[in-house]
Amino acid sequence: MSAMRRLGPLIANLAMTALALMFLYPFYWLIVSSFRSQEAMLVNPLRLMPESFDLAAYTSIRLVGGVPIEVYSFNSMLITVLATVLAVATTALGAYALYRRPHLPGFKFVQFGFLLTMMYPAMLLVIPVYLVMFRIGLLGTYAGLVMFLALQPILFLMFSQFFRSIPRDLMDSAKMDGASEWQVLTRVVLPIAQPVVNTVFLIGFLLNWKQWLPILVVAASPDRYTLPVALLAMNTEYGINFQSTMALAALTTAPIVVLFLLTQRRVIGGFVAGAVKG
Amino acid sequence: MLTANSANAGALQPGPVMAWMLLIWQHRVLYLMLLPFAALTLTFGLWPIALSILVSFTENQTALSDAATYVGLENFQAVIADPEFRHSLSLTLLYTALSVVLNLSLALALALALSGPTLKRGATFYKLALFMPVVTPEVATFIVWKWMLNQDFGAVNAALSSLGLPAFAGTTKADSAFIALVIVELWHHVGFYTVVFLTNLQLLDASLDEAARMDGAGRARRIWSIWIPQLRPAIAINSLYALISFLKTFTAVIVITKGGPNFATNFVSYYAYTKFDLAQYGKATAMATILFVIVLALTLLVHLYSERKDYR
Repeated sequence: MSAMRRLGPLIANLAMTALALMFLYPFYWLIVSSFRSQEAMLVNPLRLMPESFDLAAYTSIRLVGGVPIEVYSFNSMLITVLATVLAVATTALGAYALYRRPHLPGFKFVQFGFLLTMMYPAMLLVIPVYLVMFRIGLLGTYAGLVMFLALQPILFLMFSQFFRSIPRDLMDSAKMDGASEWQVLTRVVLPIAQPVVNTVFLIGFLLNWKQWLPILVVAASPDRYTLPVALLAMNTEYGINFQSTMALAALTTAPIVVLFLLTQRRVIGGFVAGAVKG
Repeated sequence: MLTANSANAGALQPGPVMAWMLLIWQHRVLYLMLLPFAALTLTFGLWPIALSILVSFTENQTALSDAATYVGLENFQAVIADPEFRHSLSLTLLYTALSVVLNLSLALALALALSGPTLKRGATFYKLALFMPVVTPEVATFIVWKWMLNQDFGAVNAALSSLGLPAFAGTTKADSAFIALVIVELWHHVGFYTVVFLTNLQLLDASLDEAARMDGAGRARRIWSIWIPQLRPAIAINSLYALISFLKTFTAVIVITKGGPNFATNFVSYYAYTKFDLAQYGKATAMATILFVIVLALTLLVHLYSERKDYR
């Protein structure tokens, strides 16, 4: 009986560890494969260590589709950072205004419109967005991409959730002391909002980094592509070079894996906060 | 205030328009704060949706021109009469139903296991492993899965055969391609639903559980009658997210199967996308609109259901 008692938890932990390793295995396989040739893969698909740390695949992706890899990396960084900054600023202010006075004329309309946008099949929204971009002359521009990517539902929900957690008294008493709405925001709310702003920025960064379809559609030429879009273009052309694809996939994934490992507690907490019912 | 005004109707009385404008002027700071967000929502949300719905009523050739020819419900009739669309719709619904049930039950089981004392020591590592696929770029990880499912040198079949199990046909056969997508998307999403359940489990009312334990209720009994009922809001929100995301499944299809083999994974969003690629804009947007209405209806249903449960 007591042996059973000790054995039970051990088995449970072993099973869970096995499952966790299975979840992580594709990442490991990705890294190892980027150093192995297709021929070596054929001989032994499951080898845990590459035969050698052959960087051939990484040098082969200097140019992808005729565009230097630096351009894709630069686009990824630029578009992700700018879109996230814009998203944090607009959704924070928007969510705050909607939270302060949800019943002002027009406010319900914006909130409802935003919820509708969330439900429209995103990949099909991208098609009409192409038309809109064309009409307002932003097709193929960084500005158009950044503005479209700044509309992120989960970020809005995270801010809404946070504002609702602030005691109303705090703001009302500031208001009573004659503070303007702007002062309430900058002197009462913003000082306590720093951690939330950081978390939202982090999650916005992770989500924008993986965007691909809006960029593929709105970018007029490959020199506006980001890393995931370049990767997809590589995947679509057949007769693909397996090793180079893996190298580019590794480059696209690595920054996110590192960032997530450094901030996982905050990221997981933030995602959940955006998904709490309310 | 308004009633006081209407009492002396002859006096100078702010009309409803004036009252609105006054209200807006009083709260001009809040309006300014909302403005950028509202502008983005309108320009890149509502306008494209309206445009897309409008295009679904136009003829393909003229759809994108300024002088579009409106054809009423013709595109919708054509789409509904298309046997491949009906096939695609039923595939999408089957895929969604299967994925929602699998994701939510696995997530609930994992969350219950992780919330107990047994797995406490490794909990951070387990959560990290489950959540990693949620944040990493799908294009990259789905390409990895595509190659892992490769018949010649993929890791999946190599692992199966080393365990003495039969080979998995992966993306080469209709049924197995469908199942492969279910599994890959389960890997991609389940961590999210798990941490939502886990967080809600940690917020449960411990005294109820304690009382049930005193009454001699076993763990299984307590999970069923004490924990699950309290998790209803979390189940509702997870079902909502899962429904919306699986009905719209697209990236996995375009990266791994391209709708094949033999249309076995030709889900509605992918089918609409291929129609768009063929410049059949009217049909493509008609399909998008149908899918949108289904998402909207199901969302509303889950919402009403969860509201009623809360009211109890």
